[in-house]
Amino acid sequence: MDVVVIGAGLSGLVAAIRLARVGKSVTLLTKGIGGLQLSQGTIDVLGYSPDLVTRPFEALPRHGKPGHPYRVIGGAAVRSGVDYVAELCGPDLLTGHADDNFLLPTAVGAVRPTCLAQPSMAAGQITAGTSYAIVGFRQNKDFYAALCAGNLARSANVTARAITLDLPARPNDVDSSALAYARAFDDPSYRQRFATLLKPKLEAGEVVGVPAVLGIKVLDAWRDVSERLGHEVFEIPTPPPGVPGMRLNERLTQLAKAAGVRIALGSRVVGARTSGRRVESVTFAAAGRNRDYAAASFVHAPGGFESGALTMNSYGSISEGVFNLPLAGVRDDLVTGDYWSDQALFEVGVAVDDDMRPLDAAGRVVYSNLHCAGGILAGATRWSEKSGEGIALGSAVRAADTIRRA
Amino acid sequence: MSDLHEHEHDMLRRASLDHCVKCTICETQCPVAAVTPLFSGPKYVGPQAERFRNGESVDHSLDYCSSCGICTLVCPQGVKIAELNSAARAVMKADHMPLRDQLISRTTLMGKAMTPVAPIANAVLGLKPARWAIEKVIGIHRDAAMPTAHTQTLVGWLRGRTKPTGPFPRGPIVYFHGCAATYFEVQTGIQTIEVLEHLGYEVIVPKQGCCGLPLQSNGIFDTARTWVRTLVDDLRKAPRDLIIVSSSTSCSGMLKHEAKEILGVDDDSLAEVGTRTRDICELLLDLHDAGSLPLDFDPIEITVPYHAPCQLRGHGIGTPAVSLMQLIPGVTVVESGVNCCGIAGTYGLKKEKYDIAMAVGKPLFDMVKNTTDSLAVCDSETCRWQIEHATGVPTVHPIALLHRAYGLTKLPSVVS
Repeated sequence: MDVVVIGAGLSGLVAAIRLARVGKSVTLLTKGIGGLQLSQGTIDVLGYSPDLVTRPFEALPRHGKPGHPYRVIGGAAVRSGVDYVAELCGPDLLTGHADDNFLLPTAVGAVRPTCLAQPSMAAGQITAGTSYAIVGFRQNKDFYAALCAGNLARSANVTARAITLDLPARPNDVDSSALAYARAFDDPSYRQRFATLLKPKLEAGEVVGVPAVLGIKVLDAWRDVSERLGHEVFEIPTPPPGVPGMRLNERLTQLAKAAGVRIALGSRVVGARTSGRRVESVTFAAAGRNRDYAAASFVHAPGGFESGALTMNSYGSISEGVFNLPLAGVRDDLVTGDYWSDQALFEVGVAVDDDMRPLDAAGRVVYSNLHCAGGILAGATRWSEKSGEGIALGSAVRAADTIRRA
Repeated sequence: MSDLHEHEHDMLRRASLDHCVKCTICETQCPVAAVTPLFSGPKYVGPQAERFRNGESVDHSLDYCSSCGICTLVCPQGVKIAELNSAARAVMKADHMPLRDQLISRTTLMGKAMTPVAPIANAVLGLKPARWAIEKVIGIHRDAAMPTAHTQTLVGWLRGRTKPTGPFPRGPIVYFHGCAATYFEVQTGIQTIEVLEHLGYEVIVPKQGCCGLPLQSNGIFDTARTWVRTLVDDLRKAPRDLIIVSSSTSCSGMLKHEAKEILGVDDDSLAEVGTRTRDICELLLDLHDAGSLPLDFDPIEITVPYHAPCQLRGHGIGTPAVSLMQLIPGVTVVESGVNCCGIAGTYGLKKEKYDIAMAVGKPLFDMVKNTTDSLAVCDSETCRWQIEHATGVPTVHPIALLHRAYGLTKLPSVVS
């Protein structure tokens, strides 16, 4: 095996595809389905630095403290990662100009900057003077139209009002999930029922915002809904199960398989065999026994605390579970009592060189054939600066291209 | 199981529910919840409802879980969702186990009863009035796929043949055939043995019974524990340093992890057997990765739809059959990309669940029919019966293609 990739999130999938497409034999090991399904289904590069960013690649070189992943990855690799994922997913799934951020409404009516969005979201781009009709479903407890519309009218120079429809995803459902709606919206007859119910309630010129449930397999269902309504329509990402994230995950997983990546799902990577500064194999706790996967190179893209790749024990000591890598950013006051202030804990992770190889405290490469990508990298508070996908993609491209050259 | 083991087992399994972060990834992948509101989904029925269970579950939608295990497989946090549900269902059904579930979970009983009268048994199961009567009296759906009995069992074939005398450069290996290969899928058993012998293994087939998986999935835990322990003892009668290989992916999954994780059988002999157990495709791909699988395949010009069954995916070894079949010149494999065929062992046989099982499998059936009308491939026997039943496309174990490509036989009519 040329390469073993650990993790099936954005960075793991993209690194695996990029390597398999240049002829490398790649095995991807993952405990479960990766975090893409829990994402908004958009590609953030940089949203706040610390003020609102409109042109992410202009702000990127000056962003963050020394040690921030972008300082190591560099704008060119991030740009190449963003372009690559856009090309992989295609224009039916990702749209936008990487130079400019979208400003899109969230489910609570805040305004969120992001670099690439799904075409179904693009009409949500905040433009002064727009009149929005925000539509929810009485049977979907994950999206409250009144909350969204009320906050949206307060946070941007727009008008917004709420409409709530009495329309379950399946007959007699009291509580329909976003995914149940998305499956229903794959069916043209359901889209017509929705349009018939909603159209008389709309006023001329209103832009219609709905929770992101307009189809899971039928990717242009939103366009059909828009035509049936005679209004511009956009999707607003909801809490998990996030349908836009599922679309991205499905597309990238299929591409990985088509590229010949072997995917083993369902067990944890529990350790590694190393010799000197090289990783020889990783140990996958498959059913019944541990299996060793040997490879020439390894991409470690397991995520951070959320996935259990980084853990803190009851003594407050943090560790990385597979390679026991040295961690950067560890200090005494990792968590402060103020919920909304920066929590240093989020910046703990692995420090890397510009080939994404892990470094120890003295700045020496720990393993020469191990490359880290995505959420495990130290130095960023992704959720507040809106940099998660950009870091994942830039580091995946760096890791893959280093391995390709080797 | 001793009280201590029971305690450890319950504690470990229940402790896993605290790892649930409510991300709902399991809900998005559950094939049953996708097609029926009768099952409220793995997260609701599993880690959420489990907190409130003390004794029998009051949420009877639990019975609509098919035990396919996809939820556990896709969980990024390691919650034993399917295992929690299987155990809770066993408690719920303990004092009123339907006769039907008692019968269909005893594969060896069905095989022993049907084999001597195979033509008659097959003919009766092909008769609509008979199937109607069976549905009314026992509760097996009249249209559900039933296995075909054969007059010769695998054991009969082994007894009747002239055993190869070697040499066996790869040494001995133990074959665990499972009930299905004994009685209903004799061809798969023969092909597996012949491929192994072609590769230079001496195949040892110890006398063996059922692994107890159908009992377990129907909630009949005590008998299932007895059966799997007996099987472990049977397999340990062969030399204990040998690899045990199986062409029945759900049965080998039972030995590798389900007997421990669901039934709570926590003893050294099971663990020892589980560690030595390999799925046949896992074994062959490991040989290939080590550079020792001969690649002198005859070309087979064919495009086959392939479905990786839930039970195989539970092994956590990926889909070795795909990589193996792609080694054969001319073979194009189209993966189903679908989570479940619906049958889930005996779930789809039941009259109240047949329609759900068919709805679960519909995307797979459509995919198979859109790909081919000649041959489909799947590792698990009950899934093969379900796919054949729903599509009319003959469905074989991946070993059938390898057997053909090694020039050991011709597949019946479909591949020339």
